[in-house]
This record gives sequence, structure tokens and C-alpha cells, in this order.
Amino acid sequence: MVLQNNVILQNGIPTRLHFTDHRIEKRTITEPATGRQVLRSVLALDVDQLDGRPVVAILSTMAEKLAGQFAPYLTDKSYVNFNFTITQLGDGFTRTWSVKVTPR
Amino acid sequence: MARKTEQVEVRMVAEYLKAQYSKFPHITNQPLGLVDESLLAKYGYSKGMGIQRPRRPIVDAIVILPNYLVMVEAKVWSVVNGLGKLPLYKSLVPLTPELKEYKPREVLMELVVGWTNPNLEVMARDVGVTIRVYCPDWLKEKVDTMQNYWTPQYRIAREDKLRNRELLGLE
Repeated sequence: MVLQNNVILQNGIPTRLHFTDHRIEKRTITEPATGRQVLRSVLALDVDQLDGRPVVAILSTMAEKLAGQFAPYLTDKSYVNFNFTITQLGDGFTRTWSVKVTPR
Repeated sequence: MARKTEQVEVRMVAEYLKAQYSKFPHITNQPLGLVDESLLAKYGYSKGMGIQRPRRPIVDAIVILPNYLVMVEAKVWSVVNGLGKLPLYKSLVPLTPELKEYKPREVLMELVVGWTNPNLEVMARDVGVTIRVYCPDWLKEKVDTMQNYWTPQYRIAREDKLRNRELLGLE
């Protein structure tokens, strides 16, 4: 088993994940553009498999564009029945994520 | 005053896919078309793909069925734009390297909308697109807002709301 705090997505590289639990956390972050401290909601997903290997890690995101793709699976925690392969595309405000959802 | 965007279509697509196609693999935000290998060689994979992004249109979702690929585009507002895009996007599917492993499959097209009308159905039939109406309560609220947006009552209520926000110093 690999111990790793956070899953870091790399541009253009597909990352296959399996989630076991999730929560919405409030975190204070520094906005890169303004340097201001702001309180933001973060979706944190517990990961137990990364590219087929067992891990203990967290995928967290503030991006509604990414979090919105998991939204239907959060209420009933049905994400446990799927693998999610996430490919991050682009940088900055134009960044988006392609997510492949595969039933297990 | 700053305006907050809301990812309505992201949620709409994700919910629709879970409701209709949860038994099959599906890919959201799939870029389509050729990849210029010379740019990848020159700038590396990440930057090379980034440079090409504006040239590669992104379809909302691709569902991988045993014998078909279903291209899904969801639209709440510009529904005719969605209808126009799908046949053009279809022409790029055979050239898309990320979808190579799923060939040969026939490509079907679905436009997911919050509302429809007879003219939209006629246009869709003509270009081989199937219209799917997906309108849960939260989306109905958005659709109603859009359809009432230019009515005098809605305009007055909106101006009133914005004025109150200014007065109260809310974002």
C-alpha cells in the first residue's frame, strides 16, 4: 500500500481513482491573483485505489467544473461502484477535466 | 459587481449519464479531432496538448456502448447551437486518438435539453440527432428563469434584487 496525502493530477495524464468516502470542507486559501485570504468550500474524496494500486490518499477540489461531475454520485455515495479516470486539460481559468466513469 | 457563474450543464450531463447510462463506461468533456504530433515533440505532452486545445472542440460526453458510441451534448440555453455542433463533432470522432480503442463503432448523437418544441424536433430529425428531455426540479427552476428573463415582471424584480444587494453590501 502506498501512503500519500494528496492526489496530484497532471495535465494530460489520465489518473484512475476509486473513492470510498467524501466530505465538503471549509478551507482558508490564498487567492493567487489577489493574494487575499478567502474561505472556500472544498470537495474532499477519500481514495483507496490509484491506477489500480492500493493507496490512502485524498483528492480535493474547489473547482465546480470538476466537483459537479461527481455531484450525482455524492448523495448516495454510489461512487464506490465506479472507477473514475480523470484527465486534467489546460491551465488557469480555461482548465477543465475529462472524467471517464467505469462501472466496477 | 462580480457575477458568479454556475455550472448548470455540468450537473445536467452528470445526472443524465448516471440516470441513463450508469451500466456503461462514459467519458465527459472529451476533446475531439487530430492531435498535432509535431507540437507535442516541440513543447512536450502537457504544453503541446494545451496549445492545441482551442483547435480541438470538446463534446460534453461520449458513452461507450458495446456496438455504438453515443455523443451527448447538453444545452439549457442555446439549444440550436448544441444541435448544430453534434453532426460536426461526429466527423471528428474517427480522427480522435483518445477514442481509437473504441473503433469500429457507429456514432449516435443525443442532444439533452431542459425543454423542447416541435421545430427543434424537426431540425434534430433532419440531422440525425435524438432529442432527450431531462428536466428535474432544480433545472426546471433555471429554465423558467430563462423563459421569464425578459418579461417586465422579472426585470423589475431583478433590478430590485440587485439594488438591495448593493444597499446591503452583498456580493
